[in-house]
Amino acid sequence: MDSYAVIFKKPIDYSEALQYQYRLLNARQNDEIPDMVVLLQHKPVITIGNRGRKNYLLKNLDEYKELGIDIHHVERGGDVTFHGPGQWVLYPIMKLGKKNVDSHGYLFNLEEISIRVLDDFGIKGYRKKNKSGAWTDCGKIAAIGFRLKKWVTFHGMSFNVLDRLYGFETIVPCGLENDKITCLERLIGYDDYMMEKVGNRILHHFANVCDRPLKYFFDDNHIPEFIKKLKPPLN
Amino acid sequence: MALPQELFYTKSHEWVSFDNGIATIGITDFAQHQLSDLTFVELPDNGTTVSSGQEVAVVESVKAAADVYAPISGEIVDINNSLEDDPEIVNRDAFGEGWIFKINVSNESEFDELMDADSYQEICPES
Repeated sequence: MDSYAVIFKKPIDYSEALQYQYRLLNARQNDEIPDMVVLLQHKPVITIGNRGRKNYLLKNLDEYKELGIDIHHVERGGDVTFHGPGQWVLYPIMKLGKKNVDSHGYLFNLEEISIRVLDDFGIKGYRKKNKSGAWTDCGKIAAIGFRLKKWVTFHGMSFNVLDRLYGFETIVPCGLENDKITCLERLIGYDDYMMEKVGNRILHHFANVCDRPLKYFFDDNHIPEFIKKLKPPLN
Repeated sequence: MALPQELFYTKSHEWVSFDNGIATIGITDFAQHQLSDLTFVELPDNGTTVSSGQEVAVVESVKAAADVYAPISGEIVDINNSLEDDPEIVNRDAFGEGWIFKINVSNESEFDELMDADSYQEICPES
């Protein structure tokens, strides 16, 4: 059976997307749905992972409110990060262990997706020892933090596309005090269709790297009923 | 890594050995490999009563966290305290020194639910 990709074009509120992930997680654990991957952008939000420390927040709560940035503690691995429009977030909800490719390790596979996307745009991406994510000579471009429940994955990876990284300036991302964050626009310049192109490449490489051929569904139509009822409300 | 034939396995990638009414539980080599190097293991308390399928421990690496489930019901009678100082024991020796907790089994018939190495191999690729 094909895996499903659900793509949301409008930015989604973090808590709504989290509820959506939990519903998909539960459905996947019970084999009610196939392996899935959700691709979306968030409204501006800072999330703090299990081991995240509050002193990585550089502003106080009122200042974050003024900037329009929500703050959430989440039960994923990883530290503090920022999500917002102009960044793709990939949430694979899949059962690990069924495919040979899973033996490479899920973290390795997520990194591999980003590195291949960068390669599509002529950028050399690489892994860094003891630091997860995907890196370029100009800084970190993709961040990873995930959780497994009954060996179904949730949370996942974010990939910075457009130059709207202001939220990163208000945190110490992933506890990396001396590392720069970058995005594709800074590396190759702006293009009107950049988000769309990068989104397509992320899903293309996800399907190959994770060996999960995808059937695509967009937010506004053709989503099968059983997934629709799990869907977050759209604004 | 070859799967130890003498162990039992669960769908959620725990292994179980059984000796004199006491079950020892850890996560499989496949499982530790998905997480990369562990940085933290949240251990249960001794004396806790758990039922089969219940979340009992959490294993975490820099970027990942996964729940560990009780494969069988009973009372937690021992935990591997050395994982607090050196969680990477699980990465180095998942099936041995990297055990996580022990359960005084209350219902041995639950063992029928567990898989042997061959059945586990079918749901899990070689790593």
